[in-house]
Amino acid sequence: MQERDTGSDASLVRAFAERDATAASELYDRFASRVYGLGIVMLGNSAAAQDLVQDTFVKLWRSADRFDETRGRLDTWVLLVARSLAIDSLRRRVLEARTLEATGTVRDVAPEPGPEEIAETKDMTARARRAMATLSDGQRAALELAYFGGKTSTEVAELEGIPVGTAKTRIRTALLKLREAMGEQHEL
Amino acid sequence: MNCDEVRERLTEHLLGPLEEPLGADVRRHLRGCAGCRHEMAVLEEGMSTFALATHAADPPAELRGRVLAVLEQEWSDVAPVRGLRAPRPARVARAQRRPASWMALAAAAVVVVAALAWGGISTVRASHFEAAANRYDAFLGALGGENVRVGTLRGTGLEGSAVLYDSKVGQSWALVLVRAPGLSGEVDVALSSSSGSRTMAIRSLYFGQGGEASTWLVTASSLKPFDRVTLTDPTTGALLATASVS
Repeated sequence: MQERDTGSDASLVRAFAERDATAASELYDRFASRVYGLGIVMLGNSAAAQDLVQDTFVKLWRSADRFDETRGRLDTWVLLVARSLAIDSLRRRVLEARTLEATGTVRDVAPEPGPEEIAETKDMTARARRAMATLSDGQRAALELAYFGGKTSTEVAELEGIPVGTAKTRIRTALLKLREAMGEQHEL
Repeated sequence: MNCDEVRERLTEHLLGPLEEPLGADVRRHLRGCAGCRHEMAVLEEGMSTFALATHAADPPAELRGRVLAVLEQEWSDVAPVRGLRAPRPARVARAQRRPASWMALAAAAVVVVAALAWGGISTVRASHFEAAANRYDAFLGALGGENVRVGTLRGTGLEGSAVLYDSKVGQSWALVLVRAPGLSGEVDVALSSSSGSRTMAIRSLYFGQGGEASTWLVTASSLKPFDRVTLTDPTTGALLATASVS
């Protein structure tokens, strides 16, 4: 994955907003794997993950004119849109399950296929995973709860049985350590 | 909010959103603090690394064609307009509360010219004037201002609009556009606070034969205390029109 400057990302999003197919292709090539992988992790199967990719890119186009590079990076925006949609999907599943239970028509849910094997095909992905090894179990757990679960620091603290301040520190430290570790690997 | 208070909330702002008005307070602080913006950028890089490490997976090859085809369908269903987006019904409803379209176009045109004169932006194109009039957020972001406030002037035989731009870099300005068919001569214009504690006169409006006039003020002073624009007859002091700017 190429690193791009924000000016280039802003122009890419602008082109995408103006229905440039090349821009759409570039955005897909840069972000689809992470959105798809997010769907696998959060939603548990390939079909749902593929739907998430489609829904994410449609939402990105519909909100492209609201992308503001001064507020954050392009990949952050894409990932948070995808995560928000995934969380909505999970909530609908919970609601549907509760509705079915209430009406006495609980389905026998066939076991979903397990997550597809994550393929380490890109160097940056491998480096990122090595960076993850620098986190403590507590830091990783707090970050996963906040990122995948959409939990607030208060909720993370309750789930982990730690003070709120500790939860905030763990999440922040985890992000800082990941960035530092990636930077060190890049310099080697 | 100070930097310590903001940095304590940056991870939640990143992974959030933070509840309002806290989120707005953090965003406002970030716009004016390079140090905190750097911290935010560092946290974003960390999140990007986390995403790569935990959930990067090659999707099926056919998904690419499917997604791009869906986007093509979306584009064909939504009619292209000048500017970035086709207006939705909600936007039309909001536009109906704004001044008449010629006012919005004229206001946007003068605003953009003024911005260019200040070297504020260089990327807004002529074809985006109408979109700019309806997209204060994008305009504000481009100029790096704090707020843009608009009010509608109404009076007997008179209509217009007032725009106040609050800058954080000492380049605040006010713009008043008025149409009053049949009116000629001079009209006094003033900015005031609804509490009545402050008043600032600006250049008068001069109506020619066309019954249209405009005036503006550019100042290093803050315009935040002012939330009203009044037009008065210079001879009698009679109130001709007023607008609340918010």
